[in-house]
Amino acid sequence: MIEPVPGAVSVEEALADDPMYRAFGRLLARPLVLGVVLFLLVIAIIVFGPSTESRFIYTDF
Amino acid sequence: MRALAPLGLTMLVLVVLLSATDVAIGTWFPRFERFSDNFSAAYLEREVHALARESPQALFIGDSVLWGYKVRPSQSAVSLLRAGGLPARNLAFQGGSPVNLYALLRLMLSEGVHPSTVVFNVNQKEFSPADSAYRTVHPSLNALAGSLFTPGERGLLDQTGPQRSFEHALDSEMTAHWKLYALRSDLREAIFDQVDAVHAADDFVQTLSGAKARGDAAHRPTAAQFEGTYDLSPLDEQNVSLQFLLKSIRLLRHERIRSIAILTPTNHALLHDYIDAPEYRSNLARTRALLEQSGVQVIDLDRAFAPAEFLDNDHLTIAGNRHLAAVLRNVLAR
Repeated sequence: MIEPVPGAVSVEEALADDPMYRAFGRLLARPLVLGVVLFLLVIAIIVFGPSTESRFIYTDF
Repeated sequence: MRALAPLGLTMLVLVVLLSATDVAIGTWFPRFERFSDNFSAAYLEREVHALARESPQALFIGDSVLWGYKVRPSQSAVSLLRAGGLPARNLAFQGGSPVNLYALLRLMLSEGVHPSTVVFNVNQKEFSPADSAYRTVHPSLNALAGSLFTPGERGLLDQTGPQRSFEHALDSEMTAHWKLYALRSDLREAIFDQVDAVHAADDFVQTLSGAKARGDAAHRPTAAQFEGTYDLSPLDEQNVSLQFLLKSIRLLRHERIRSIAILTPTNHALLHDYIDAPEYRSNLARTRALLEQSGVQVIDLDRAFAPAEFLDNDHLTIAGNRHLAAVLRNVLAR
């Protein structure tokens, strides 16, 4: 049997104080906002993503 | 199960927003002054469909010389003609060559484009088998016009076999159904004036630090860079570029389209050691004769430009583009 460590907190308790976890939790609770955020993320990936589709075949120098 | 309903709503919002963006792109995506460096098949398709709806106009088809290498889109010769009121479109692109001329003509005619005039440039360096566009169709053009080639024509070209990877299949599906994805390379270049944001940031830093100016100064074209660029072997029927040039002019003649060929301005001062030989003159004369025999009007600009009007072997400076526009304006006005 594992003895409880004095002063230890559960994962949930530890994360409850984490601002990132709370922000993400709030986002998950609002599907409309999450949809918009995902949309903006997709647009950003398309616009700011690296060009991997080079069609440039002309090699002058 | 409780988590599925919000997740479904999230995905619905995402799909609705992406669909709305695609409708907006389909309606408002701009037509550029010329093709981007890295234009997509989707952009080319939009351009061809737009041309099919418009009244006949002069279409300029060719390589980077007509495209306007290293000058702003508005500074290219064709843009200057357009600014002067000539109904024209610049369909030249980097990597143009006779086979690309033929492919683009086939594509346009198959889509119902009927130009009033086709102006194309004939560049002697593209008759060299060493040229990167000698037997290669630009990938975006090939995606649309590849099926229009006969098996015999395809046999003359460099073929990349059908790609069967999952990545390629996914890319094809996304390109077919998602305009934002299909036009991403054109969109990035329109926003950043570079192939992507990283290159734009790099260019900004290089310009700011002066490294770009120093690099340009250190890389002035020298004659030695063009050794082997021009093939002075006598042009014969085996030459792939010559075959596709002949196919192109037969096609134009069959369609009764006014055709003007520009023998590309060439920097003889720079290339003197490599091209100022009877063989070069003989190949140029042969090309000219073949064009004229087929009813193509020829503008011989091979020696018409001063060395100061060139950036390198054949690409023109801003002043060179102005000179070219003036020559073409006179010819097209007749």
